[in-house]
Amino acid sequence: MREMRAEDDVQQGGSSPPPAVLVTLLAVLLAGAIAVFASGVMVWVGVGALALGAAYFTSRSAAPKKGVSDMARARRLLLLLDRGGSTDCKVPAEFTNEWATLYERVNKTSFEARTGGSALVELEKLRKQIELAVSILDKDKDPLAEARELKSSVLEPLLSYLQPSDAPGASVVSKMTLGEEEELIGSGPDKLPDDWPKPASGPSSAGGPSSAMAPARPSAGAAVGGGHLESGLRDLIREIESLRTTLSGGRESEAPHRAEDPAIRTPAQLVDAVVLTAADGIEDLAAGLMRANELASVAERVTNRATLLALNAALEATRSGSEAFAAIAEETRRLAEFAREATDTISRLSSEIEYKVGETITAIHATSEDAKNSLAELSGWAVPVPNAARGARVQVVRLLDRARELLSNLGAAPAGRPGSPSESSPNPSNVANSMQDNVQNDRPTADKLPLEGIMLIEGLKPGANLES
Amino acid sequence: MNLGTRGALTFRLGDYNFAVRVEEAGGVLDADRLAQLPGVAEPVAGVAAFRGEMVPVVDLAGFLGIESLAPHRYALVLFRGADRFALLVPEIPRLVAGRDLREAPPEAPDPELSDLFESTLVSEDQDHYHCLNYWQIFESIIPQTAASAARDVHAKRTR
Repeated sequence: MREMRAEDDVQQGGSSPPPAVLVTLLAVLLAGAIAVFASGVMVWVGVGALALGAAYFTSRSAAPKKGVSDMARARRLLLLLDRGGSTDCKVPAEFTNEWATLYERVNKTSFEARTGGSALVELEKLRKQIELAVSILDKDKDPLAEARELKSSVLEPLLSYLQPSDAPGASVVSKMTLGEEEELIGSGPDKLPDDWPKPASGPSSAGGPSSAMAPARPSAGAAVGGGHLESGLRDLIREIESLRTTLSGGRESEAPHRAEDPAIRTPAQLVDAVVLTAADGIEDLAAGLMRANELASVAERVTNRATLLALNAALEATRSGSEAFAAIAEETRRLAEFAREATDTISRLSSEIEYKVGETITAIHATSEDAKNSLAELSGWAVPVPNAARGARVQVVRLLDRARELLSNLGAAPAGRPGSPSESSPNPSNVANSMQDNVQNDRPTADKLPLEGIMLIEGLKPGANLES
Repeated sequence: MNLGTRGALTFRLGDYNFAVRVEEAGGVLDADRLAQLPGVAEPVAGVAAFRGEMVPVVDLAGFLGIESLAPHRYALVLFRGADRFALLVPEIPRLVAGRDLREAPPEAPDPELSDLFESTLVSEDQDHYHCLNYWQIFESIIPQTAASAARDVHAKRTR
């Protein structure tokens, strides 16, 4: 505690001279001694030493940086508030005049607030006012000008003589470590009630006693907030890039990837791949059909053999006249007929499937060609350009309507500059009419409009000087 | 009408229908793979195995000069005693019961072939089937002595 007060005394320009003065005086004495031996140099050294001493004392006599101490006092008040005051707390030496009164009041209010009641409400109110004042001072602004509620508060006499330019000293307290804060205020032997108001929310609010410094740490808050802002900006940039990629159809981002990744293919290649896959499947199907046809031919041969067997049996039965043999021959014939019907059905189905497969292959090839042509049209400039040209055409027509309206409002349509030949300066109305005809008839493209027509359109914007 | 037969196997060659009575028909076999014989006359298509015996196969359409577009795939075996030969037919012959047939005078398309036509069988559908003297045709192609000599050799070997 004593050391910190000594530091503050040094900052305020206290009575004890710093070691630099002694060093300067010693330098002067040493210079005098040397001057005994070197009288020529002694004069200049003495003059230099005197100049250094004069500069030092001049700086010492300048206006004291009371803003630094004011900020430190304000933060100590916050610490005092959050600690709940102290019975043995004495007003520090640097708390003079209004600061001493305020310190005693804050200490008293904080201590009384430990028992709850109205003092607690007043404490919370006071704490918020101090936090608000500190936050405004951190921004190098006038608290009384920025916050009206501070004008009628107990802080008003204090803040009235605080200058925003004194705020840079705030970093002296805001950068204090926890140990330094303990030394400033004291830890306080008594425990605070559970409903003791907590300092403003912040990343350091859970830090125990140092939480009182939360609003007074703009650097830490800025670091965290800056991190959020940076990540947010990066997300935003990514979203914008994604949107731009989406709007551009992904051409810019896909082109290099296509060159690097062989798995990414063009739509035409995809169509080819689909067709090839379908063709492979159909080829497998055709191979299966061929195998089925082979089996059908085998079944047909079996059926023929069965038919021959049935015929020979019937022949023998007829020749022998045996009814039993005739019955067996008849059953064999029915079996052969059944086998033949089944074989014919298989052959017919196989032929139908083969025919349909052929049709499917033809349709796939035709569809593939159509898809390739459509993709070529879509991926090229054929579609966007007409759309853009159509939009530009509409805009030009509107401008021409506006030009004609302006000309009619002018009463007399000037045929160019007075005295100039009409060939070199065409009639704006005629030019507008011809251009509109051209645009509506879709004769010239938007980028091939006559130069004089474009100049005329530009010159006939509302408020433009027609002569110029 | 009693034709003296229980039925007939009918087949078609070109624009003509032919019939073989069941009493002289030994059976029908598949003639996809015929063994060709070197140095034989053109109407003989080859030989085929029928129930363990080698049977000469005669191309009847070729003998009669009938142009038949369908390939000959079956052989209708005829037998007379121990002698057998087969007629090459393009399709499986159809068995028609004797009760469904009636006999009519022979209708030879060519007077020179009138000796070969024995009779004509008419079905209920009024289809006319020519019954030929098939053994005469066979013997005109392969002399009976040669056929008998071959049969004797075969009999000695099997004996």
